[in-house]
Amino acid sequence: MPDWRKLVNEHLAALALEPYERAEVVEELATHLDETFFDLRRRGFSEEDAAERCLSEVHDWHDLRRKIQSARRKEDIMSNRITQFWFPGIMTFVLSEAFFGLIQEFGTRPGILVWGRPPIAMFYIPWLLSLSLIGGIAAYLSHRAGGSRRAVLSSIVFPVPPFLAMFLLLQFPFYFSFQEIAGVAFPVSLIIDWHGVHHITALAFLSALLGWVLVPGVALLAGGLPIQFFLSRRLASRRVVSN
Amino acid sequence: MIGPGIKRGTAELAILSVLEGASLHGYEMARRIEQQTKGALRFTLAALYPMLYRMEQRGWIRGTWETSSHGRRRRCYRLTPAGKKKLSPLRQEWSELFRALRQLTKVADA
Repeated sequence: MPDWRKLVNEHLAALALEPYERAEVVEELATHLDETFFDLRRRGFSEEDAAERCLSEVHDWHDLRRKIQSARRKEDIMSNRITQFWFPGIMTFVLSEAFFGLIQEFGTRPGILVWGRPPIAMFYIPWLLSLSLIGGIAAYLSHRAGGSRRAVLSSIVFPVPPFLAMFLLLQFPFYFSFQEIAGVAFPVSLIIDWHGVHHITALAFLSALLGWVLVPGVALLAGGLPIQFFLSRRLASRRVVSN
Repeated sequence: MIGPGIKRGTAELAILSVLEGASLHGYEMARRIEQQTKGALRFTLAALYPMLYRMEQRGWIRGTWETSSHGRRRRCYRLTPAGKKKLSPLRQEWSELFRALRQLTKVADA
């Protein structure tokens, strides 16, 4: 008869639980395989057939380990979300705001793109460059915390929905009062002339959306995606080496 | 043969139902479900334990280590009051679903 404890123990060696908890899981699963084996033998199966049927109870040990871990460590789902998504995401947003504030503080002149009469697009090139760096940091932090591809991507583009929300808020006539109340410099890479706000055109809206939301989003991805790609490749090559 | 999607949905109900009558360990539970459903529902080890641990986390069942007369240690599960409370609406939901499906197939056959 195979040594079920040894087998289960080897397959679940990487089960990230407290040692006593892990030992309990190994004991429980090994007992289940013991019972299955003896029952099959009682029902007339040969030792080889019984062992084979026991082994067919688990097709993918890696998947079983992941499922057990996720089921037994419910609270970790939340802490994983924090480290893999919320922390890198919020940090990305805060850094992007801080960099924009600094750039405005030190009076860096924006690059101006004119599309005829209003709107006038103002791209803060240093800010967009800093967003690439920030996107890269977000990808690194989320990946390091074990984030899935989705979590990494979400962390990189985390500031985009707040940018969009602020952009939409700024389209309303309470533009100035809102900005005064908030008392902060918004990462406005494109500012529509106040007089134009009242008569906003579809073109102005789209170009503002492009300048304020889409271009910063692309800048974040431009920094984050290569880092994610590089780190995933490195992890994959490590796996190949360890196999 | 019942498909895997439906099986997943019925798994909780099956486990809660077999535990309603008695406190059972994992293997007994799997055997009993297989026998009572005439093989339509079969839990492998890989399907059963993540489900049991999840249900235990939710507070529906509780596992405790017991030693059998042969000196073998086994973890036995029993329903908690929360599990008992969950069983009744779950039965109701499934019975409504099956009634609706029966109704639908009758209409389709007619």
